[in-house]
Amino acid sequence: MAFLMVFLGCLQSCGETDRVDFSTQIKPILNNKCITCHGGVKKNGGFSLLFEKDALAENESGKPAIIPGNASGSELISRIHETDPELRMPYEKPPLSEEEIDLLTRWIDQGAEWGQHWAYSLPEKVEIPAISQEAGFTADGTSNFVQNEIDNFVFARLESEALHPNPPAEKNIIARRLALDLTGLPPDQKLFTAFTDGDLTYETMVDTLLARKDYGEKWASWWLDLARYADTKGYEKDMGRNMWRYRDWVISAFNENMPYDRFTTEQLAGDLLPDPTTDQLIATAFHRNTMNNDEGGTEDEEFRVASVIDRVNTTFSVWQSTTMECVQCHSHPYDPFTHEEYFKAMAFFNNSRDEDTPDESPNIRFYDEEQQQDVDRVNAWVKKYGSAEVAALYDDFLTFNEPKYLAHNAVDFTNGELADTKYLALWDDGSCTLKNVNTSGAGFMYMNYRSDIDGTQVTIRKNNSEGEILTRFITNKTEGNTIRKIPFKGTDTNIDLYFETNNDNIKKQVSTSYITWFAFLKDIPGKSRPGYQGITETFLKLLNEHTPVLPIMVENHSYMARATQVFDRGNWLMKTDSVEPGVPKTLNDWESGWEGNRLGLSKWIVSKKNPLTARTFVNRVWHQLFGRGIVASIEDMGTQSDPPSHPELLDWLSLRFMNEHDWDMKALIKDIVMSGTYRQSSKNSPELYQIDPNNELFARGPRRRLSAEQIRDQALAVSGLLSDKMYGPGVMPPQPDGVWQSVYSNESWVESEGEDRYRRAVYTYLKRTSPYPSFVTFDAGSREVCTIRRTVTNTPLQALVTLNDPVYLEASYNLAKFMYGPDVEKGISKGYEKATYSKITPEKLEALKELYEESLLEFDNGESLGSNFFTLAEQPTPQQAALTVVANAIMNLDEFLSKA
Amino acid sequence: MKDKIQRLIQERIIRETEAKTRRHFIKQCATGMGGLALGSIFAGCNDFLKDEKSFKQSGFSDRDLNPLATLAPPFGPKVKNVIYLHMAGAPSQLEMFDYKPELQKLNNQECPQSLIEGKKFAFIRGTPKLLGPQANFKQEGESGNWVSDNLPHFKTVIDEVAFLKAVHTDQFNHGPAQLFMHTGSPRLGRPSIGAWVTYGLGSENQNLPGFVVLTSGGKAPSAGKSVWGSGFLPSVYQGVQCRSKGDPVLYIDDPDGISRNLKKSTIDAINKINKEEYARYADPEILARINQYEMAYRMQIAVPDVMNINDEPENIKQMYGVEPGKESFANNCLLARKLVEDGVRFVQLFDWGWDSHGTGRDTAVDIGLRNKCREIDRPMTALLLDLKQRGLLDETLVVWGGEFGRTPMQENREGKEMGFKGRDHHGDAFTMWMAGGGINKGAVHGQTDEIGFSGVEGRVSVHDVHATILHLLGFDHEQFTFNFQGRPFRLTDVEGEVIREILA
Repeated sequence: MAFLMVFLGCLQSCGETDRVDFSTQIKPILNNKCITCHGGVKKNGGFSLLFEKDALAENESGKPAIIPGNASGSELISRIHETDPELRMPYEKPPLSEEEIDLLTRWIDQGAEWGQHWAYSLPEKVEIPAISQEAGFTADGTSNFVQNEIDNFVFARLESEALHPNPPAEKNIIARRLALDLTGLPPDQKLFTAFTDGDLTYETMVDTLLARKDYGEKWASWWLDLARYADTKGYEKDMGRNMWRYRDWVISAFNENMPYDRFTTEQLAGDLLPDPTTDQLIATAFHRNTMNNDEGGTEDEEFRVASVIDRVNTTFSVWQSTTMECVQCHSHPYDPFTHEEYFKAMAFFNNSRDEDTPDESPNIRFYDEEQQQDVDRVNAWVKKYGSAEVAALYDDFLTFNEPKYLAHNAVDFTNGELADTKYLALWDDGSCTLKNVNTSGAGFMYMNYRSDIDGTQVTIRKNNSEGEILTRFITNKTEGNTIRKIPFKGTDTNIDLYFETNNDNIKKQVSTSYITWFAFLKDIPGKSRPGYQGITETFLKLLNEHTPVLPIMVENHSYMARATQVFDRGNWLMKTDSVEPGVPKTLNDWESGWEGNRLGLSKWIVSKKNPLTARTFVNRVWHQLFGRGIVASIEDMGTQSDPPSHPELLDWLSLRFMNEHDWDMKALIKDIVMSGTYRQSSKNSPELYQIDPNNELFARGPRRRLSAEQIRDQALAVSGLLSDKMYGPGVMPPQPDGVWQSVYSNESWVESEGEDRYRRAVYTYLKRTSPYPSFVTFDAGSREVCTIRRTVTNTPLQALVTLNDPVYLEASYNLAKFMYGPDVEKGISKGYEKATYSKITPEKLEALKELYEESLLEFDNGESLGSNFFTLAEQPTPQQAALTVVANAIMNLDEFLSKA
Repeated sequence: MKDKIQRLIQERIIRETEAKTRRHFIKQCATGMGGLALGSIFAGCNDFLKDEKSFKQSGFSDRDLNPLATLAPPFGPKVKNVIYLHMAGAPSQLEMFDYKPELQKLNNQECPQSLIEGKKFAFIRGTPKLLGPQANFKQEGESGNWVSDNLPHFKTVIDEVAFLKAVHTDQFNHGPAQLFMHTGSPRLGRPSIGAWVTYGLGSENQNLPGFVVLTSGGKAPSAGKSVWGSGFLPSVYQGVQCRSKGDPVLYIDDPDGISRNLKKSTIDAINKINKEEYARYADPEILARINQYEMAYRMQIAVPDVMNINDEPENIKQMYGVEPGKESFANNCLLARKLVEDGVRFVQLFDWGWDSHGTGRDTAVDIGLRNKCREIDRPMTALLLDLKQRGLLDETLVVWGGEFGRTPMQENREGKEMGFKGRDHHGDAFTMWMAGGGINKGAVHGQTDEIGFSGVEGRVSVHDVHATILHLLGFDHEQFTFNFQGRPFRLTDVEGEVIREILA
């Protein structure tokens, strides 16, 4: 068998000497040596090597630089041979090597065949490398490395590097690693003991952990980084927002093991699914996690566009490992995506109703039980007496108050202004226009406004100051914002609304009211029926109810649709050609049946022909478990990404994830953690480190510092403080005073009480301009934009957190309580074991015992214990205090802060 | 001059040698402990690592052990440190440095439409009126540069600074403009200039953070902590906010009941066990952690020490006009000097309260702004003098500015006349100044039109300012990149030119 492999290897490599391969041999030369000057941005001499079409086209000299089949006649070849430094390419750089020149020459002579980058096509099938029986041997000679197909791929590579995998990790080590990876928490004692005693198989433990609710909390923490989930809006004011229902949706989606294709579609386009459920609407908040700028004087349209751009970039980063940011201003310098394609992608996202208003509309409204009965009554009425279309309209309006026209789009103000650039505010004798409004032939207009002044006459005319009066009414003082129903003469075509206000009793430059929005709904049907009056009143009452809300995505009706235009050099004020929604040509084809909106886009993404969706997900799950992706640049799979360490494994896992597992996320994770590769010991050696410092070959198991969330959760878990309460608004565990400091915001950190102080980190309130400080120290981000990778750092500030933060002091004290007893050594051993899941060695026990004795000496000796020891609520005895110091040391051990 | 260059070259050679020696030491010892000259807790590292030989070739660098290890810049630097004074809210150049007699003549006249057509303002609507300078100007010093009577102290050091009179930005709201000014992008997610610099050069003092932020004026800058964030750079390079109230650095104080001795023993025990763990796993990250715990211990002494201004001599306290125990710009200026003196690479001061819209007394350009000027005048003058008398000004760059400037027109919020005199946000032209090593003292670059609306010559962008700061620190801003999401990122994006006109 080994002989056969060598033989096959020779066949392959011997073949290569004849035929030059574009992807592996030519493209790297072009990318490294040529493309900065002859790419998507710079095209010196009119010559670009990014696309085949451009590379073979005539350039400024009037002839092509590459003539397929004729290297000696190709300008490219003569220019790399040139001796005159003014003419030689690469210009002002060292010349190409003999080998590179030879490759390019042979490639052109062979026809200059253009190939595609590996990332942009996916094979239909991948052969699993066969391995000999001996192949399972690990470094210590045991033969239990190969547990599933993953190991065949990993082993084949190791063998080619003449390396052996590590032996399996000890049971206690793998149990802790697995539990931390699957649930974010160390294993509970019962499960741990059952497994280490041999009463439970490894596989059963995997299944048990995957079925825990902790699993969803752990993996949600990861997804929420991608989704840029936070509890505030960002920018200057950074006010709170109600997003937590989306966070809870993610947790339950993981726990229910929602297939990844559905998980994708619901988040990108849940609102466009037929008759979407409340949960599907909540899922769309994925793209409402964009920031919202409430700063005075900001133009809402600018920040609406900023959000749309963020949605494009995030979608492609999250699902396609593709950095679309690059093509926002110009064609991609390296990857085959064009500037226009960016705006085609943007067109999918440019037709949602949100417009950066302070109330973040559209919001889904959550009615209480009593209100819901009213909602049901109104809906039933409209359904009974009206068309399906009208029924849907009222259902939508009650669910999320759309479609409506935002008053901040009013223009041409005389004696009036957009107050705070947000609200339509006219003074006495004021006028303005709201353009291109579909009034739906409505007999009523709904208006959301507030006013501090009585007796203003408001007139709305058709199109201009001479136009027909569509309504005239008086506004008086209101208590805050109110939604009013006003008789209105609607038309069926789009018109401009011309507003006039008159109030003789006020001074100049005083705003008569502040209007937020208008809505024109076809009338409630069934006018002649008994009960009609009651229904209309109930409807208006419901609109005015203050309910909990969540920002969601809602698409424009066709009559409100925005055209998407290409921005010149990415500047949103310089709009040029209009474009239709579309996807990059380099990737999978668009199927004709797909909707030309976000729903269609999500179908394109989860199409099994998409070469990047499954690979992206598989690679990042692998990264979560191993601390390194199969493609190390987990952000990017494209021309500039790192090559995969195990290309066939990546493809095999991706195909299996789509075809065999049908996008089952838990099944994918299970495949990986069941592998012998994952179950290896993470012991390193200087020899191995030298050959493979980054563990690219996976000849050892992963050893990584825990995440910010895990470090906190683990400390609370091992000290018995952790609450298992799920869901709900973000909580505020203790943090130092004075950390929150926001301009123009009177929101404050109100320390949670009771078990809310000890909830899992995923529930901690996240303020973007001031995230929870100890999480930031351990590399969690502020979630302003999509975070694909948290860089793991190792800093003294981290030591200060686990040594001095009262959260960890309290945890230490609680762990110490567990250690307390007549036998100090036994107590220390117990505490160490509880925290690290390992038996203590004599050396470690000695070190901790010394620390205990020294502490006790100090506390016994004088008043040094103080009355506020460790800022605890209770006063410990000197013995308890000394054990607390020891427990705190345990919580600072590298083995505690890492998974091995 | 020649002496100084000689000295800098000398210093660079020494630093490089030091770095080499440290690397050498680390390879020998493979712990990094001794390389940082601690000696406080550990006697040595002999028994620590048995695999010395193999590790030597493994390419594990001192940056892996200590991400703040000093690095020499690629080109000859003019300065080692930066103190950046940011007046958050955007100070009015027209009441401080950009003297416009013509604007005085046009006071209260309607602004010509041609000037404001197609322009966007945050609050000005319709046709505003021009507002003459609300301060008296004089030419001062040998340079004869203009400065207003709002800055009676600063005029005495005017010959130390170089002015940029026509800086422009395309952002006219605070949050995005501050982000642009400090990260090179108006959107969130990019590293701040201090993070870039600390990433590029490391820190001179391993007991203090490399990038320290001090705020005053009662509020944090509009854009929040992102203006000193690390963006996609490792978080170790983000600014560490040192506070005047509470712990100067979060969690720096030992908890009640823990003496220094006991903390030392605690870290001793932790590191002893971590060494055991290293012997088992040979994971170099464990070595780094041992190192970080050592540093944490030392930082606990060094930070409160450097943040304590009480022990400064009386004359120095008076010079700055400090108010111990309070959060003040004066205190922060003195702290900036102390931090730079102790080898902190980048010190960023934010002073809030410069948003002179004229919506009340505090924001009137003739009242509130005058008071704000008084608050900074003495301390920033003292800072330059103090740095100079200690020989630190030659190796430090001091930058002063806001996120944009203010309009020559009086603000008419929502088209209304207002009770106080104020000016709206204005990005077309505003003033910044720089002082310190490599700066052409007394230079003025850039000029605005007669009313100070736009730059008419020597216009420089935010990217140009960044390119210049990096240049002075020894970087070519086009070469100084970090790979993220598959492409190299720069502080200056794809723009920026060094402003040679203000360089010595």
